[in-house]
Amino acid sequence: MSLWPAETQEMAKKLIGRYPDPKSAVMPLLYLAMRQDGYLTEAGMREVASWTGHTPAQVQSVATFYGMFKTERLGDYLVSVCTSISCMLLGGDEVLDAVEDETGVPHGETDAEGLFSVEHVECLGACGGAPAMQVNYELVEGSTPDQARSLCRWLREERPEAVNTDAMQEQFGGRRSFDWAITEDNSAVGPYPAFGPYGTLRRGDT
Amino acid sequence: MADLVKITVDGRQIEVPHGELVIRAAQDHGVYIPRFCWHPRMREVGMCRMCLVEIETPRGTILTTACTTTAAEGMVVHTASDTAKKAQEGILEFLLINHPLDCPVCDKGGECPLQDQTMAFGPGESRFVEEKRHYEKPIPISDLVFLDRERCILCARCTRFADEIAGDPLIEFKDRGNHTSVETFPDLPFSSYFSGNTVQICPVGALTASAYRFKARPWDLLVVESSCSHCTVGCRISVESSQNHVLRFNGVDNGATNQGWLSDKCRFGFEFIGSEQRLRTPLVKVEGEFREASWAEALDVVADRLGAIIEEQGGDAVGGIGGARSTNEDAYAFGKFMRTVVGSNHLDARLDDGLDARFLAAVSPRAKIADLDRAATILVWAPDLKEESGSLYLRVRHAVQERGAKLVVVHPRRTGLDDRATHKLTYRPGEGPALLGELAGGAGDYAKVLETLSLGPVVAVVGRTGLTEQPQLAEEVAAFALSLPDAKVLPFARRSNVFGALDMGVAPTLLPGRAAAGDSEATGHLEAVWGPIPTQAGRDTMGILQGLVDGDLKALVLLGADPVRDVPAAGIARRGMESAEFVVAIDLFLTDSSELADVVFPAEAFGEKEGTITNLEGRVQKVNRVVTGPGQSQADWTILDDISRRLGKPLGFASAEAISKEIADVAPPYGGISWELLEWDAKEGAVVPYGEAGQPVAYRPDGVDREALAAMSRNPESGAFALHLARTLYDDGVLMRNSLSLHALAPGGAVHLHPADAARLGVSEGSLVEVETVDASVRLPAVIDPSLATGVVYVPFNQPGIPSLGSDLSVVVAAGEEVSA
Repeated sequence: MSLWPAETQEMAKKLIGRYPDPKSAVMPLLYLAMRQDGYLTEAGMREVASWTGHTPAQVQSVATFYGMFKTERLGDYLVSVCTSISCMLLGGDEVLDAVEDETGVPHGETDAEGLFSVEHVECLGACGGAPAMQVNYELVEGSTPDQARSLCRWLREERPEAVNTDAMQEQFGGRRSFDWAITEDNSAVGPYPAFGPYGTLRRGDT
Repeated sequence: MADLVKITVDGRQIEVPHGELVIRAAQDHGVYIPRFCWHPRMREVGMCRMCLVEIETPRGTILTTACTTTAAEGMVVHTASDTAKKAQEGILEFLLINHPLDCPVCDKGGECPLQDQTMAFGPGESRFVEEKRHYEKPIPISDLVFLDRERCILCARCTRFADEIAGDPLIEFKDRGNHTSVETFPDLPFSSYFSGNTVQICPVGALTASAYRFKARPWDLLVVESSCSHCTVGCRISVESSQNHVLRFNGVDNGATNQGWLSDKCRFGFEFIGSEQRLRTPLVKVEGEFREASWAEALDVVADRLGAIIEEQGGDAVGGIGGARSTNEDAYAFGKFMRTVVGSNHLDARLDDGLDARFLAAVSPRAKIADLDRAATILVWAPDLKEESGSLYLRVRHAVQERGAKLVVVHPRRTGLDDRATHKLTYRPGEGPALLGELAGGAGDYAKVLETLSLGPVVAVVGRTGLTEQPQLAEEVAAFALSLPDAKVLPFARRSNVFGALDMGVAPTLLPGRAAAGDSEATGHLEAVWGPIPTQAGRDTMGILQGLVDGDLKALVLLGADPVRDVPAAGIARRGMESAEFVVAIDLFLTDSSELADVVFPAEAFGEKEGTITNLEGRVQKVNRVVTGPGQSQADWTILDDISRRLGKPLGFASAEAISKEIADVAPPYGGISWELLEWDAKEGAVVPYGEAGQPVAYRPDGVDREALAAMSRNPESGAFALHLARTLYDDGVLMRNSLSLHALAPGGAVHLHPADAARLGVSEGSLVEVETVDASVRLPAVIDPSLATGVVYVPFNQPGIPSLGSDLSVVVAAGEEVSA
């Protein structure tokens, strides 16, 4: 018996329907569980287990392998700064310092207020726009340390309900890897990716 | 037989099957390649890298894992070249970076693959001086198994076993990467019925068994090989003891039976052997109280009172129940005792199996367990094998899961195999015959099932799904199964040596060697050795108990049997024993039944005596002695022999082995089977009929009889539910009751209801429900169980503190009144 609300259950069914075997849907459903609870709770993993036919131990094994499945409560904004080699060479470490200083949150931690979580991450696949960072997995490229500070201040002062890569890039970013790529219209409303069926806001939805 | 290819291992040319793994091929030819993750009974994964060897290829030599490389013509393998040795040393050095080397306080020390292989293949010293990782010291991952993550080398044998073999993937890697560890999910322990196997296959001391932790060092253990006595498969085990105490059982890889695996009941069900509650002296009841007595005194009482009853009323006034927990030799002695010394045909080894003795002993063509490995389709119309016979369950699961055999399961509720079943048919107890008729007819939805079943070879595991089921149904199921293409039947009953005891003639309708009682040729053959045997028709267990109640029978001999606890109609069992003028019991413990006896003799248990047992496929295996029995306990046959001398008709047995020789003489299918054969040549056991011998009683049920089926169908009385009463792996049987680690795991009394029935009755999960049958009335907590049909309740049989509901189909169920606090 699912503890999820009807709307989430509908999404779960839709996601499972995309795969020949419900077990294959474990990772999308983990994001769904994060969307439901804000992060991946034990109850969320049990729920995913019952939808997919895995045992909770197997779900936990998948969930703890990937860095993007968060098993601890995060702030409203998860700021991830890339410190892999391309970004490091172009000032990623300085961006990270600026973010830590501006938010007062050391990497790997969340502030007491529950506003910011900061982490440094490995390659975000945006070397062309290094240094790269993300807010709730929405990419911002080519930011200077000062721009990163402004971004954090903006988040703190405006508390946007959703963040969107293009909007942030315009305001706080620099050079992009690809300016010809398809723009992703979805905006993120929490620390899970804003693609597909997670019901994230689209610009103009609100 | 696969094609043979020539490969060269360390300069020596060998011939091995094409496609054989190099690690196995080399081992079969005497070259041991070190390994941790590879296990011969599990899929290869190549993840520990310990088995790195050099193999010559057209592009030069490569370093690769021997456990994932298959042999091909002309392959050249170097297992001990400088490069291979360097690689192996490197892997061991890495594995030891974090391994604590606490061998002196580790249970595995002395029998540890990591220790042994470090000695044989390791570098001798380490370049790592850094701090090792630390975890909380052993954490219980189940009631029976502890996990010490510091010692773990991440070979995944345990997690793979849980998933691949047991089908209970409740342990998995967590935080894979730099901090990988094996974990359960929080609050969801590794409560698999097979958890103990992970302790045995763990190549380090990361997994340890609560029952054995810190009890002994491996080099102090006295070890004999034997066969488990908990169910009718007879899994091969090593019985290991120190200072005359049995301390553990380990599985032995017998390809014909268990392939090395054991259920936890078998692995940890040894504690009863050393129980303080074991009987140590004969007991004689004087004025309603037991008092310890000398053998001479106790034998005198038996000789006087049993002798008097035989003298005055004839042997026909005496019944004998038991033998299914004994060795063949003991059971044979019991049969001979009852028939020649007492002069009675009222003897039975079956307590609750309910199935016809001739069916169990002689249904043919009979499948072997290994036939499951070749079956295209498996039909299981039997008890839930997961609850009643762990290793048979694993064998079926393996055939389906790893080999793709089709599986049809027919049972009144969910079983452990359902998740692998191609078709699962659920029915109301009592309506099994109707279902069988429809299935055999193949109309409607059953057409698909029948289509699956028409894919031969078919192996059908046939037994009685529950204790309220019509006993004759199994024979009809077998008849149906044998109409399928290339079909064989494996008859299933659970009580350990019941098949052996029936082969020894411990049934009213059978003589030793599967001969029919009353068959003049067999009787003549037997009387030549035994002297005259009674000819009147004998009674089975229920008949004996009823006869005692009615006063037709006056005395009872119990051999390791506890009918009060084990016969579903417990009321009749108790009244029968109370009505008897005289009861003598041979037992390990004072049970609910032997409590009611007049004289009780202390018997030797499993591990304390030698003999043979016969499993459900007819395989005879040797069981062995490793400790001595407590106090003055004796083997069953010795006690029976002593009594026979006092009664003036000595059986005259010299030893258990001498009895085995007599069995070979008297029972033609056992001709040629000797202890020597089993110990030296037939290591996997010998299947009866052995050699050239034929089967005296051939029982082949002919075709499904629709009319008989219709007549067999039963329904509960109006307003009542149909009762499904079935056993669980752990219960309140006397051996479990005295194995403390396991007794606590019995699920306890409960009544399972379909959600619709629960709603109708106003019952929710956990609320108390009044359950009433003709035999008993109890109040049990409800469990909502959607796997049942409506109108059915399932109650687990023989749970601690819960009286038996009996084998009547009808059960009245009502919501219990709320008890106000």
